[in-house]
Amino acid sequence: MSHGILLELTDVCKRYDSPGEAEPLTVLKGVTLQVASGDSVAILGPSGSGKSTLLNIIGSLDHATSGCVSLEGRDLTELDEKQLATIRNREIGFVFQLHHLLPQCTVLENVLVPTLAGSTAIPRDKTEGRARRLLERVGMGHRLMHRPGQLSGGERQRVAVVRALINQPKLLLADEPTGSLDKEASENLAQLLVELKREEGIALIVVTHAQHLARRMDRVFELVDGRLIPLQTEEN
Amino acid sequence: MTLWNLIKHSLHFYWRTHLGVILGVAVSTAVLVGALIVGDSVRYSLRSIALSRLGDTQFALIPQDRYFRSQLGDELQASLRTAVAPILMLQGIVIHSASATRANQAQIVGVDERFWVLGHADVPFADGSDDAVILNESLAKHLGVAAGDNVLLRVEKPGLMPRDAPLATDSDAAVAMQLTVSSIISDTGFGNFSLRANQIPPFNAFVPLAWLQQRIELPGRANALLVGENAAQNLTQEDVDEAIRRHWQLADAEIDLRELPQQGVLELSSRRIFLDPAVAAVATDIVPNTLGVLTYFVNELRVRDRAAPYSMVTALGLLNATEDGVAGSTLSSEGLRIPPEDMPDDAMLINTWLAEDLQAKEGDLLQLTYYVVGPMRKLEEQVRQFRVYGILSMDDPLSEPGWMPAFPGLSDVENCRDWEPGIPIDLDNIRDKDEEYWDSYRGTPKAFITLRAGQSMWENRFGNLTALRFPLTADTRKTVVETLQHQLHPASVGLFFQPLRERALAASTQSLDFGQLFLGLSFFLIISALLLTGLLFVLTVEQRSEEMGTLLAIGFPSSRARHLFLWEGSVLAIIGGAAGVVGGILYTKLVLYGLSTVWRGAVAGSVLRFHAEPMTLLLGGTLGTLAALLVMMIHIRRQTRLSAVKLLTGSYRSDENPLIPTPAIRQISFWVGAAAIAAALLLVGLVGASKDRGAAGIFFASGSLLLVGSIAWSRTLLTSFRSGTDGSSMTLAGMGLRNAIRRRGRSLAIIALLACGSFLMIAISANRHDPLEGIEQRSSGTGGFALFGESALPVFHDLNTPEGRDAYGLDSVELQGVEFVPLRVHAGDDASCLNLNRAQTPQLLGVKPELLGSREAFTFVKIMEDLPADDPWLLLNRQLDGKTVPAIGDQATITWALGKSVGDTLLYTDERGNTFPIRLVGVLANSVLQGNLVISEDNFLNRFPSGSGYQMFLIDAPSQRIDSVSQMLSRALQDIGLELTLAGERLAMFSIVENTYLSIFQALGGLGLLLGTIGLGIVVLRNILERRSELALLRALGFERRSVQWLVLSEHWALFLLGLLCGVTSALVAVLPALRSPGANVPYRSLILTLVIIVVSGLWWIWGTTRLVLRGPLLNALRNE
Repeated sequence: MSHGILLELTDVCKRYDSPGEAEPLTVLKGVTLQVASGDSVAILGPSGSGKSTLLNIIGSLDHATSGCVSLEGRDLTELDEKQLATIRNREIGFVFQLHHLLPQCTVLENVLVPTLAGSTAIPRDKTEGRARRLLERVGMGHRLMHRPGQLSGGERQRVAVVRALINQPKLLLADEPTGSLDKEASENLAQLLVELKREEGIALIVVTHAQHLARRMDRVFELVDGRLIPLQTEEN
Repeated sequence: MTLWNLIKHSLHFYWRTHLGVILGVAVSTAVLVGALIVGDSVRYSLRSIALSRLGDTQFALIPQDRYFRSQLGDELQASLRTAVAPILMLQGIVIHSASATRANQAQIVGVDERFWVLGHADVPFADGSDDAVILNESLAKHLGVAAGDNVLLRVEKPGLMPRDAPLATDSDAAVAMQLTVSSIISDTGFGNFSLRANQIPPFNAFVPLAWLQQRIELPGRANALLVGENAAQNLTQEDVDEAIRRHWQLADAEIDLRELPQQGVLELSSRRIFLDPAVAAVATDIVPNTLGVLTYFVNELRVRDRAAPYSMVTALGLLNATEDGVAGSTLSSEGLRIPPEDMPDDAMLINTWLAEDLQAKEGDLLQLTYYVVGPMRKLEEQVRQFRVYGILSMDDPLSEPGWMPAFPGLSDVENCRDWEPGIPIDLDNIRDKDEEYWDSYRGTPKAFITLRAGQSMWENRFGNLTALRFPLTADTRKTVVETLQHQLHPASVGLFFQPLRERALAASTQSLDFGQLFLGLSFFLIISALLLTGLLFVLTVEQRSEEMGTLLAIGFPSSRARHLFLWEGSVLAIIGGAAGVVGGILYTKLVLYGLSTVWRGAVAGSVLRFHAEPMTLLLGGTLGTLAALLVMMIHIRRQTRLSAVKLLTGSYRSDENPLIPTPAIRQISFWVGAAAIAAALLLVGLVGASKDRGAAGIFFASGSLLLVGSIAWSRTLLTSFRSGTDGSSMTLAGMGLRNAIRRRGRSLAIIALLACGSFLMIAISANRHDPLEGIEQRSSGTGGFALFGESALPVFHDLNTPEGRDAYGLDSVELQGVEFVPLRVHAGDDASCLNLNRAQTPQLLGVKPELLGSREAFTFVKIMEDLPADDPWLLLNRQLDGKTVPAIGDQATITWALGKSVGDTLLYTDERGNTFPIRLVGVLANSVLQGNLVISEDNFLNRFPSGSGYQMFLIDAPSQRIDSVSQMLSRALQDIGLELTLAGERLAMFSIVENTYLSIFQALGGLGLLLGTIGLGIVVLRNILERRSELALLRALGFERRSVQWLVLSEHWALFLLGLLCGVTSALVAVLPALRSPGANVPYRSLILTLVIIVVSGLWWIWGTTRLVLRGPLLNALRNE
């Protein structure tokens, strides 16, 4: 599935200062990773191992203490906040464990919220059509005018996935996307992510505890003691 | 989907929390708008009052103590093509005949239909209602009279000559009239007509002009001319000045011209007896060989042991003699010029009647005895000797009675024994032959002296000539009249217009800005409401931190996310602002209600009407909205600075780790606190028990330092709660206290808010003083005087002398130990705190500075630089540059009523129309003289020579007899309308204003502090919501609900009480001098009540919020986590 390199992490470290005289806490210790367009990666690891931190650094929501994160050859550590916001908006899609849908907006509106962040690549008049299509695609076409409070957990998460895809990102980041779902919903979402990745032609990085989700990815890594250790997938 | 849609959805979805924010904005805006509208209402009310008291009057001609032809009004009306109304305005006393209730300071106004035209009112007099009087509502209410009741009017009767002039009599100074009240008119019926800028309605009694003119024996005369506005053309000062210049006549200056063909002269005299110096100055240069005449009534002419009592002596002198020319009247029957050119100034010509009476012959020494009148009509008998120069025949043309001016009490009586010349005469000294002389020759002078000699004896401030005689030719009259009318400026005889309307409007528009005042008084309330808005808004924003994190995560730049929230906040602020404008209107009505009831002292009982300018509403609404937006912006900015991850996870809430404060912060707050408290203690120690004026300031500074120190130490104290980690002494309350430092900034804000609020409340309330404390001391605001008196009619005599007391029938024995300091009054605006208008020309008082200086009366708080301060009252005698007159005023008058300070000058116009500056050389501490400016009597008489008598009195009386003295004086002087007030009461009247302001501040500040306690509830809510899961955990660990509540309560109650403790203790130090001063009038009851309400409210909000939030199924919080 490999095409050109989309994302490249080189020797990424993340350290947190501890209070008082204590030693700083190093969460990531020289993480190096390459992800190509259309690639899918799962990162496993116990709680507190730094999985989410790594995902946040990839998604430019956090800064690495050292090392380099480049997306399509651009070093994200060199960019200012405004440029990073543009990248997050146009090139990266986020799916969180908690859906973080805006309770005051309908399903359709929630999906369209990212289009309000700035001028998008897709003309505005087309965004709504895309939103409807994507929602139809994930089986939410009949609930466009519902609010998040009226949806089940699985449905909310599907809406969150569509929201992440609305601006046609190149990279989809999912942080424990099935963490708050039951087994069936979790399976469905996993399948959906894989299908959408393929249909949209995007790279997918998933941080998860769920083996069934990880198994669906092209590559699986485990974050152990701050380092990424490649694991075999069941298929492989 | 658009941003606006997103905002709309958010507004709709979060309407409950937004409602709180809107209410907060509405309250702060309402208070702001309300304060500004109070200002509008006061300005509008004052303007309405000014317009209703003046009607259409634009300009007024108000000569002092002068009476011009009322016909002048018609002439000016034709010339200016506008309504002109001549009126007679006199001071008077009105007494309700049935109840004997008196109004001593009434204004008796003689008017005709032209006056009512100016007021757009119907003529309220019925035809032929000569014995009718119309009262305005305030006078009728004061007297308790209704239409049909009888009242007694006692009116000042103007004398032909100024009452202070030599030989003027005061026996007929007033005239009394029994009248029936025909109707009572309101302010809309022009009932509150007044020339003074004051919002308090005057006591007006209107009578028909012609009738009043008859009763005071001045037919066809008026003393004020009101010029209305010209609808077609805007009248200017130049227009009216030009009109008066063209139309005034000699009669308007009370100048008479009469031809005496027998004497071959045209005589110019004045109804005022003495010719105005300005008139004399012009008149003497019109025609060559003008004879100056000064005739005087002398006590005695004596040669050796023979004396003739009470005679007229005339001084004559040619003022602009040509070498050969002489005036007809100066020629004797022998054609000799009289007085002869070579007659020395110590020589005298006597007539044969006197020569025979005294058996005098040429060369004999003749002793002339006469009175001169000093201030307070103090008579000083003086004697001068003359050598008999010659004897005139009784048939000589010079021996004629025309030399005697129309001295009231002399010229108009048949017999000598009926004389009332205004000086004491002993009728027993009048012999039969004197009666016969009077019968035969009337006031024919018995002696003539040179004009120079006469003027050196009898010149006074009213003039030094009683007549001028011009050689009579065919053209003399025409020349004299034309020259006088052309060269004599009408202003020099008091005929000048004042821009009354302009001044009145200036007085109302430049009045004390109640808008600013209430903004100041409501400041704490506004800040509290804004704080509340901020707290409510931040609560909303924090609740939506996840939403903000999501927006940032999906690529919203932080600026765009900020704008999104800010737009949302703007909508709330605008709605809140609009609601605040409506609330402001209601708030104003509430304040106006307060100002008409419990706070009426602040506006001296004025009736204020609600009025709101659209611009004020817009400005207030905008300011309130912007202030709220600013508060929101600060909070949004703080929130959008957080990273998306922190916002999404809520981890920012536990970011602050105050359990381990940096040592530097701890040390800084400790040392700042230590330094402030040490400085405070040092200051208190240095001043110690001192009770001088500066001590109060130092104590206040100490209190303020203590406040800063205690807040700083509170911060240190908060950090000290982190200890106790060994767990052995761990308690639930201890845990609560330790929680207080998790949000150190927030906790400190609670302490600071309550500390500052309670400090201000106590410190300002304690400034209330009992004005009656120490009033017996000379240095107090009463000047040590027991009584303060004002009379409707002037007192001409010195009440300190037996003669003066006799003149009013006062018993000298009863008045033993009573002394008067009389003050002359030149009417002007009341520049006290009781007048809401900005006084343009405050009332002037003329006093002998020595009378106050020798008593060391009152306390000076400031004296002009470079002037000696040893006896400040004597500064009034000081010669300043040019025409500048030094003046002293009360602090409230100078600072607040006039907006001036020591060294500043004010421009006044004297009675001759000349402008002169008055410089403020000294400022008195709060005193009974408030509202006036005091100048020396000499300067007063120099500028207002016509002002006769005294109308204000500071009276010393033995403390045990004040009441009896007061009663006796009031009774004896009731005909002149003497109104006596205890000096302390007058002082207290002024203090009511200040004390009411303090009450308003206390009420509004208390309300602000109360609002602060609601904010405290919101802080509690924020803290609990933030820690909901922790508290749920405690429940899961087996803590009872009550224990968890106690944990929260102990934290917040501790902060609340710590704040109050800091504020109250610091304030107590600050106000220690006020508390221990004998004059302290601290409103303990209301202050303690306010503080109790605040404590109860604070404790309740903390308890209520805690209980409300912890009531739900707390354990869900754990599941949500």
